[in-house]
Amino acid sequence: MKQKISIPIKKSDVPEKAGGSAKYIADIEFEGMLYAKTLRSDRPRARINSIKIPELPEGYYIVDKNDIPGKNRVKMIIDDQPFFAEDVVNYIGEPILLVVGPDKEKVFEIVYKIKVYYEDIEPIFTIEEAEKEKKNPIYGDDNCFAEYEFKKGEPEKAFATLSYIVEDEYSTDYQEHIYLEPQGVVGIYENGKVTVYGAMQCPYYVKNALLQAFGWDENRIRVVQTTTGGAFGGKEEYPSLIAGHAAFAAVKTGKPVQLVFDRNEDIEVTTKRHPSSIKFKTALDENNRIIAMDVDIKIDAGANAGLSDVVLQRSMFSATGVYNIPNIRVRGKALATNKVPSGAFRGFGAPQVFFAIEMHMYHIADKVGMEPIDFKTKHILMRGDTTSTGGLLRSEVKLPEIIDTIDKMSQYREKYEKFKKKRDGLKGIGFSLFFHGCGFTGSGEKDLIKAKVKLKKKKNDKVEILVSNVDMGQGAQTALRKIVSYSLDKPIEHIIYENPDTDRVPDSGPTVASRTVMIVGGLLEKAARKLKERWNEAPELEIVERYKQPEYIRWDQKKFKGDAYPEYSWGANVVEVEIDPVTYEIKVLGIWGVYDVGVAIDEKMLRGQIEGGIIQGLGFATIEVMNIKDGKIQQDTITDYIIPTSKDFPKIEIKLIDNPYEYGPFGAKCAGELPFVGAAPALASAVQYALNVPIRKIPVTPELLLSYVNLINKPQNSKELRECLTTEHVPPLRDPEVSGTEIAELKETS
Amino acid sequence: MVSAYRPENLKEALLRRKEFRVIPFAGGTDLMVKGRRWSGLAPHFELPVLFIGHLGELKNVELEQNCLRIGSCCTLSYLLENENMPQAIKIALWMFASPAIRNIGTIGGNICNASPAGDTLPVLYAVNASVVLKNTNGIREVPIEQFIKGVGKTVLQDDELLKEIIIPIKSFDTIYYRKVGTRKANALSKISFLGLAKIKNGLIEDIRISFGAVAPTVVRSMEIEDRLKGKTKKYIKQIIPEICSQYSTLIKPIDDQRSNAYYRKIVSLRLLKHFLTKDIL
Ligand SMILES: Cc1cc2nc3c(=O)[nH]c(=O)nc-3n(C[C@H](O)[C@H](O)[C@H](O)COP(=O)(O)OP(=O)(O)OC[C@H]3O[C@@H](n4cnc5c(N)ncnc54)[C@H](O)[C@@H]3O)c2cc1C
Repeated sequence: MKQKISIPIKKSDVPEKAGGSAKYIADIEFEGMLYAKTLRSDRPRARINSIKIPELPEGYYIVDKNDIPGKNRVKMIIDDQPFFAEDVVNYIGEPILLVVGPDKEKVFEIVYKIKVYYEDIEPIFTIEEAEKEKKNPIYGDDNCFAEYEFKKGEPEKAFATLSYIVEDEYSTDYQEHIYLEPQGVVGIYENGKVTVYGAMQCPYYVKNALLQAFGWDENRIRVVQTTTGGAFGGKEEYPSLIAGHAAFAAVKTGKPVQLVFDRNEDIEVTTKRHPSSIKFKTALDENNRIIAMDVDIKIDAGANAGLSDVVLQRSMFSATGVYNIPNIRVRGKALATNKVPSGAFRGFGAPQVFFAIEMHMYHIADKVGMEPIDFKTKHILMRGDTTSTGGLLRSEVKLPEIIDTIDKMSQYREKYEKFKKKRDGLKGIGFSLFFHGCGFTGSGEKDLIKAKVKLKKKKNDKVEILVSNVDMGQGAQTALRKIVSYSLDKPIEHIIYENPDTDRVPDSGPTVASRTVMIVGGLLEKAARKLKERWNEAPELEIVERYKQPEYIRWDQKKFKGDAYPEYSWGANVVEVEIDPVTYEIKVLGIWGVYDVGVAIDEKMLRGQIEGGIIQGLGFATIEVMNIKDGKIQQDTITDYIIPTSKDFPKIEIKLIDNPYEYGPFGAKCAGELPFVGAAPALASAVQYALNVPIRKIPVTPELLLSYVNLINKPQNSKELRECLTTEHVPPLRDPEVSGTEIAELKETS
Repeated sequence: MVSAYRPENLKEALLRRKEFRVIPFAGGTDLMVKGRRWSGLAPHFELPVLFIGHLGELKNVELEQNCLRIGSCCTLSYLLENENMPQAIKIALWMFASPAIRNIGTIGGNICNASPAGDTLPVLYAVNASVVLKNTNGIREVPIEQFIKGVGKTVLQDDELLKEIIIPIKSFDTIYYRKVGTRKANALSKISFLGLAKIKNGLIEDIRISFGAVAPTVVRSMEIEDRLKGKTKKYIKQIIPEICSQYSTLIKPIDDQRSNAYYRKIVSLRLLKHFLTKDIL
């Protein structure tokens, strides 16, 4: 049954954004504003011997490590990232100093005149090198920012007794956010107080970073979010770094200082999705049931720790997918390399492992001669089962209904059978199952965030929402106002929600992990119900609501035991593709998605999230190629880093399954990341099915598929399949890019 | 200091061209990207620019008895909508950039930019186009393959402008065009392939084959084409391996941020083979 709250209303930020009147940080002029440009390292790893700065004209400044009143470290999990490089640089693009002044032309000229004298140090570029290189590590004594292991059941015993074992290795690559609005901030220093305006997801992260960098009293630092043009995680931790830059410059010059990135600079120096390498070893019994799984995850963190520790944890907690496996061992490492730091990106470590586990399950299904959908369904988690960390699934898990619905919508089974019997060109169909753990890990909300929200009833009967969460285009301003309006029974126009200003709003936590609706929305719902009861008490009222952890949550952060997340959202995707037999380009013919996100706070906005998430996920899986060569990003412009346009994929068919969550506002769980997570494995499975080659890495480019041509032509493949391909007369120019196993397979068949 | 000229007419433009060293600026869709520095700053040009995109004399399409004359400053959108435009050109333009870029980018700009990935070039080579270059003294006509010398290099002199493009009129039964880019719109070519053919009484009367983005300039071989003319389809089918290996020596692609040499080479030949086996036969 459809809930009233799900019925769409007008998204409140649309008129000003579509009409062009919205003011982003680059549009805001402050009086006497100066412009800053960053001088960056052009070496992947080097010692800075000296820096030669030309004579500066009057009114121009250099801002560097000596201009930081407090600690030259960006506040993060581990404080290893300097605002400005000290004696060494660790990646191409690492900030060394700012040139600040009134005329951009001159600032630009000065930046190009500065000479930095380096002494190169042997760089570390890959996960393998990072693991091997112990002599001269970038971080600690083993290049490891984080390393964890957890177990469920008795995996050693299971592996010792079972003989049917399947092993696989997968890898995923960088992805760049390409939020429409590049990063930008303005710093102001007035009456002994620093204010930073800018595009961001987490005003209090920025404030806390500034507090540590300045070492000042907290009422001397203020952070204001400006209308933000997309973020996808890219504006979670990164703004703290540049907010520092603008603030130091403002204090030094006494004037407002604008630091806004151009697109190329943004692509080159801001965080990206972690590349990963994931190994599976899985043991089955004689009934083709998985008894044990061993997963080894390595993620490439780049030069600084950033949020890699938590990203890694989410990868690990998602490693065995939606499946109920009694014996599990999961190991994970986040490794340091001399590349731009990796960071938060929609899905936060989960998309990498969902690609891997789904392809691994498909591979096992093939090996045991079952259809992937049946093999997967046979292993799904149900209510009452425990997760990989031993957390009890208390709510109903509607996977059977989800699977049934998507099968009917997409005719998955029928097409799977049809393509198997008779080839229809190089068509294939793929299927994925996935979840997303909602909100912060374990008891993070209780232990780390301690969210606090405020509702203010005004004399004119309007109600203001005071929270530190931001609308970055995802619709938070509409969703949270809707929650308050429906709980209060007041028209939505009476609910006010301005861009947060840390001088006005309490810390309700960061705008990440889909916690904005589930946690903050939940607190606002409670506050609104209280306000409703007390409405007539006084003309002005203030209700404060603090987070209380639901009784049921059990979590041991040391042992990784218990409820890794308070609740889960679930979903399935089907993707149908056709491969061009001449060029190996992938054409997507159909996309289907079925999701349980509890209850939709607004169906239309949720559809927006889903469509965007799927397209972004398909981009990650296919055309978004980013290679780093000698530490330098090769696709460093929007011309070469290609993201999908509306012409690339067909209409998406979506269904929602209601499954209200007791502790979410109106039953809502998480929805932001979920649609991203399942797209890549569904696509890769479809390609694998079409060509009958194992897809072990993404993005699946035509170049990659061509390198598999000999595999596709192998004699055991049907003549029909082989005939679909235009066979080649020229011998390959050089060894195609295939992994060790594939070369072995090649040898086997030749 | 003058950094831009906006002449009233072609004559004035050519005078400026003679007097000063300037950069002709048509739609600017290549120039603005190349000169880009920092948002808020004017792009950087080595020399003053000479705006020509507005000159009416360079914006006409004229159909003559044996040929079509296309003004160099015709925008790609304009050509796409022009009823006299040969189908092969339209097909290439349809895959070019996106509507916004096509509305301002010109055919002359695409030719003079002489990029290996220039999407009008394979078809212009294939239809035996020539370009008319004009200075204050007069004009000269140069076949397109002699005009383009290498990556970004042409025989255009400092005092000349590309006035128009001449295309001999000729119809083909088969047009097989493929632009292989990373996405469907607004992507530069990794490879492009054009095959044109005219078949009469089961024999190949005319055939044109060109490849883009797989060598410093468009790959077309009249020699190989001549050998195919007058032959039966069956015969061609038999000698496909030979044809492929002949083209293989001409196709010299590179590894870059968009693709790799291996893919470019193999897929070019696959497209060729597809054209010869599936499309014309
Ligand atoms: C987003 C985007 C997408 C693009 N996609 C494609 C694509 O799909 N395919 C493709 O081929 N290109 C593409 N381009 C490149 C560009 O749009 C084309 O090359 C276009 O045709 C250039 O025309 P223009 O008039 O803008 O050239 P301009 O930038 O004005 O000039 C280009 C060069 O030609 C010279 N020139 C121009 N006109 C004359 C003349 N009459 N006489 C002498 N010299 C002259 C200029 O001095 C300059 O050196 C793309 C560009 C962008 C920004």
